[in-house]
Amino acid sequence: MKLRRLQVEQLRQFRQPFVIDDLQPGLNLIHGPNESGKSTLVRAIRAAFFERYRTSSVDDLRPWGDSAAAPTITLDFEARQKSWHLVKSFLQRKRCDLTVDSTSYSEDEAEEKLSELLGFQFSAKGVSKPEHWGVPGLLWVEQGTGQNIEQAVEHAGDHLKSALNSLVGEVASTGGDELVEQVRARWNELFTPTGKPRGDYQKLEKERQEHQQQIDELQARVQKYQEQVDRLGKLTQDYQRTQRERPWEEAERQLEQARERYRQVEKLEQLQAQEKETLTHLQSSQQLLRQNQEQLESLNTKLDVRKAELNRSQRDLEQAEAQSPSIASSVQQAKAAYESAARQVHQARLGETRSRLERDLRRLDQQNQALTANVKKARQYQQEVEHAREQTRQNQIDAHAVKALKETEHHLKEASIRSQAIATRLTWQLEPGAELALDNEALEGQGEKQLLEEARLVVPGIGKLGITPGGEDLASTRRKLFTLEQNFSEQLQKLGVDSTQQAERRLTAYEAAERALQHTRELLKSVAPMGLDQLLVEQKETQSQLLNAKTELHDSPAPEPGRQHQAVDVGSAEAARTRAETRLAEAEAEERKHQTELLTRRQTRDNAEAEWRQLQDEVQNPERQKQLQSLSKELAQIQQKQTRLEATVQAREQEIKHAHPAILKQDIERYQRSISNLRQSQEERQRELRDIQVRLEAWGAEGLEEQLSNKTAELEQCSRRYQELHRRAQALDLLLNLLTEKRQALTRRLQAPLQKHLDHYVSLLFPQATLEVDEHLRPGTFTRGTELGKIAELSFGAREQMGLISRLAYADLLREAGRPTLVILDDTLVHSDTDRLDDMKRILFDAANRHQILLFTCHPENWSDLGVPPRDIQAMKEQVPRPLQKTYR
Amino acid sequence: MPKFLHTADWQMGRAFSRFETEDGAALVEARFESIERIARLANEHRCDAILVAGDVFDAQTVADRTIRRVFNATKEFTGPWVMLPGNHDAALAESVWTRAKRLGAVPGNVHLALEPGTVNLEPQGLAILCAPLTQRNTYIDLTESLNTWETAEGLVRVGLAHGSVQGLLPDEIDSANPISPNRAETARLDYLALGDWHGTRQIDERTWYSGTPEPERFRNNDAGYALIVNVPGRGEPPDITAVETARYQWHQWREILAVESDLDQLLERLQALPEPSVVDLRLEGSVTLAGEEKLINALSVAEARFRSIRCDRSGLQLEPTDDDIAALKADGYVGEVIEDLRARQQDDNAEAARDALAILAGLLKDRKQEVSE
Repeated sequence: MKLRRLQVEQLRQFRQPFVIDDLQPGLNLIHGPNESGKSTLVRAIRAAFFERYRTSSVDDLRPWGDSAAAPTITLDFEARQKSWHLVKSFLQRKRCDLTVDSTSYSEDEAEEKLSELLGFQFSAKGVSKPEHWGVPGLLWVEQGTGQNIEQAVEHAGDHLKSALNSLVGEVASTGGDELVEQVRARWNELFTPTGKPRGDYQKLEKERQEHQQQIDELQARVQKYQEQVDRLGKLTQDYQRTQRERPWEEAERQLEQARERYRQVEKLEQLQAQEKETLTHLQSSQQLLRQNQEQLESLNTKLDVRKAELNRSQRDLEQAEAQSPSIASSVQQAKAAYESAARQVHQARLGETRSRLERDLRRLDQQNQALTANVKKARQYQQEVEHAREQTRQNQIDAHAVKALKETEHHLKEASIRSQAIATRLTWQLEPGAELALDNEALEGQGEKQLLEEARLVVPGIGKLGITPGGEDLASTRRKLFTLEQNFSEQLQKLGVDSTQQAERRLTAYEAAERALQHTRELLKSVAPMGLDQLLVEQKETQSQLLNAKTELHDSPAPEPGRQHQAVDVGSAEAARTRAETRLAEAEAEERKHQTELLTRRQTRDNAEAEWRQLQDEVQNPERQKQLQSLSKELAQIQQKQTRLEATVQAREQEIKHAHPAILKQDIERYQRSISNLRQSQEERQRELRDIQVRLEAWGAEGLEEQLSNKTAELEQCSRRYQELHRRAQALDLLLNLLTEKRQALTRRLQAPLQKHLDHYVSLLFPQATLEVDEHLRPGTFTRGTELGKIAELSFGAREQMGLISRLAYADLLREAGRPTLVILDDTLVHSDTDRLDDMKRILFDAANRHQILLFTCHPENWSDLGVPPRDIQAMKEQVPRPLQKTYR
Repeated sequence: MPKFLHTADWQMGRAFSRFETEDGAALVEARFESIERIARLANEHRCDAILVAGDVFDAQTVADRTIRRVFNATKEFTGPWVMLPGNHDAALAESVWTRAKRLGAVPGNVHLALEPGTVNLEPQGLAILCAPLTQRNTYIDLTESLNTWETAEGLVRVGLAHGSVQGLLPDEIDSANPISPNRAETARLDYLALGDWHGTRQIDERTWYSGTPEPERFRNNDAGYALIVNVPGRGEPPDITAVETARYQWHQWREILAVESDLDQLLERLQALPEPSVVDLRLEGSVTLAGEEKLINALSVAEARFRSIRCDRSGLQLEPTDDDIAALKADGYVGEVIEDLRARQQDDNAEAARDALAILAGLLKDRKQEVSE
């Protein structure tokens, strides 16, 4: 089907005629912004086909506020190799005219033609709804519904199937599905959806079980009843027989016999008991006598025992006594050893004292000698000290004063040198004998004098010469010199010396004396640190000590000759003595013990002897001999009696034993019990008979077996009905399975062509992916790699893409079946990303080779690479050629 | 010249489980009627006594009502009845008989032979030597002692026993309660009236099974009779007449339908049966859809006519002819299903396939009718 031209007029915003012509057989891209009328055009195409011309339910087509409008749509298209011209007007002018080639149709006939051509239905009442849209509903995608494909497929189902039928050449069974539904409905009467019995089928099964249960119960009761009847029969027989035979009477007779026998045995037993008692008496007196005899006879034995005891104690005593000397000698030895050890200790002590005294003596002697030497030295040193002290006293001089003197002399020398330098030198060389007097000092020979002061030189003879030394400092120097000279002489005077040299000599002597004093003092101190007197005291003391030591040594006893070489030290001597002491103590203890033992044994021997003697006296008593004889006689008599008695007792014992009194007693009990048992069981039988009789009467009245028979009949009826239903159920199950199976097989055959087209597009969009068609020819399971799922689980964008390729696949299928196809897409794929959109463009372009596609969009830029020129609604609105409008009216 | 009626195996208290409730009740009722009929026949034939050779009751614990009704049904014959306990109603310590006595249901003219021994009917000239079962089953011949029982001179010696005559009856019969085949001779009996075998059957000149008076099973063994026994005199051979007592005839047919005429013949035979019939059919072979329809119609008619008719068609295959299938207008996969079901009738689950095919054919036929309407 190819749409060539579309014109709308008085329709929504297209109040004026609006035409799109020159529509291409393949892709047509029509764009315009929102509100420009894209959707109106789509709606117009839908209305032209789907809406009944005479319907009043298309008010939405009316331009706003224009109640007089007659919305009109004119379509020119080619289909089935014919040229179709459709004019449809609504509301104010309800008309439908269709021209196919040269044949004209109008009104309903025209509409039927259209629905037959495209494959849709008209709404019986009101506006056309999706369920009426059929094939166009699948191929004409409204804005935003591209992904919702399932409903659309369902509505187009019959058309698709018939298209498939014509392709595959299969007959999908006339009303087959209806038949399946009928069978399923009947199946559902018997089964729940999960295949469990329901309704009567289920109830009967339950009833059957209930019946069976009742039957089982009844059977059990019948069996019980029969058992009771059998029991009754046997009991009656037993009761009657017992009643006839009266077995307890025989038992009573036997009881009496047993009692009689038992009485006899009892008598025997009494006698036996009496004689046994006598025997016991005899035995006891015999025992008594024998005891006496034994006692008497036992004295001899006792005597022997005592004799033996005496002997043994005597022997013990002798043994002990024999030991006495050796024990005494060992004590003696120990004593001697101890004493020698003690002596040793004494000697050792003595030796030790003497050697100590000798050591002291030597030491004191040495000390005395040293002290004597020291005293001598000390006396000498004392003299030297005295001497040094004398020397010191003699040369006593102040070292500081000497030093000051030397300084003064030094200063004086310096001052005199200086004065001489500035002083006027007077040199003279006088003729022998010539004399001059200088200031009253006679000058002779040659000399020189320095004059510092005015001097008067009297030249004898000639007069007086005054000399006055010149120079500035002369006066001060002369004064200083004078002062110094004065000082010097004062100091000399003070020191008591004539010259510095003398002072120094004295100082040196003093210092030497001082040092000698010091030295001798030290020496003295070294020999008599505390002074000589002390030393003397010490010497005296030492001497007295020495004297004492000597006396002591002299007094101390001299060591025994010949023993000195042993040189036993006190420690070991004492240890030896301690050992000897211990040994002595031991020996003494031993001796004491021995003495005690000796005493004890002696005592024992004495006792034993006394006892033995006493007993011997007793034994030899003649009274006792007589007693013994009488006892023997008595015993013999008793023995005789006893033997006789024992014989009788034993014989009777045998008799009693043969009579089995215990068994007889048991017999009596047994017979008694038997009698009571026999009577009791008969009574019980009677009672049970009555009970069973009563019970059976009651049960019998219930007619159990007849009930059972009736119940069995009911069960069988129930089972028969169940079997019928079961058979029907089996048959329906089989039939339904077969029908479903065959139908599925058919569907699979039908799906193949559609699947082929679908695979074509899916491989373009998702390589390695598959999209399975389900039994209702809807896209079902989607697989991509390991992904597996339903379309509904994909993202919106992917679902929309899937929806679109599915629709294109349907279009291919329809085309292949010779059906007209027109694809209208209103702003589709807005949710696709660029890559997907590119793939979808390839798909659309590919599909456009086979179908006319009208693509409405408000995003022309998205579709610029689709290979077709876009057509702008806005632009077309401007160029509406008015005259044309009349041509198609 | 004593004359008496010999009957046995009434099996009163039995329910008929294989039938619908209503039919079962009618069959039970018929058994009561047969007792009344026996009483009338005894009167008609001027019998001196009626001997019932065991199994009067089907079980020991039948309802009181059943007991009373049984004895009530005997009232038309006022002569002596001798009833012998059989294996179903053995004279146990507590039995249906003791209950009947306790209920006071036993009329004075009915002798219950609860213990082995002779019932002397001197006025009738009969000595009835009874060998009742006192246990449910015995494996000794209870009639053995009949040999030694002496009876008054001049009385006709009639044995009355219940059990299987050894060596004569088919093996399938319970071999409990054995009876020597020459008992009549060894016990010097003029006649030995036996019960237990439900068909009328002669053992020797003087020994007979009377059979049950009203059939209660399909096995075709001449049930539904009572015997009128006329003993001309002591030692003389008896004269026996079988009289019909049954209300319903029981028919069990096993038929194989091979060709279409087989079905027609069967339906004709069915048509010929009297109305008080109980019919059990089992069909095998095959039938066309049209034949099936015809058969179902005929069965529907028969159901209304007969006391009961049942037809087991599970062994009967449905073989739709090509015409049948064409008539059903089953195309596409439904046609495949029909083919499949036809084939499946050869399998193990043939019954289900047959039923499924019938259901499918029915549905298709209904649809055809709808369309034609």
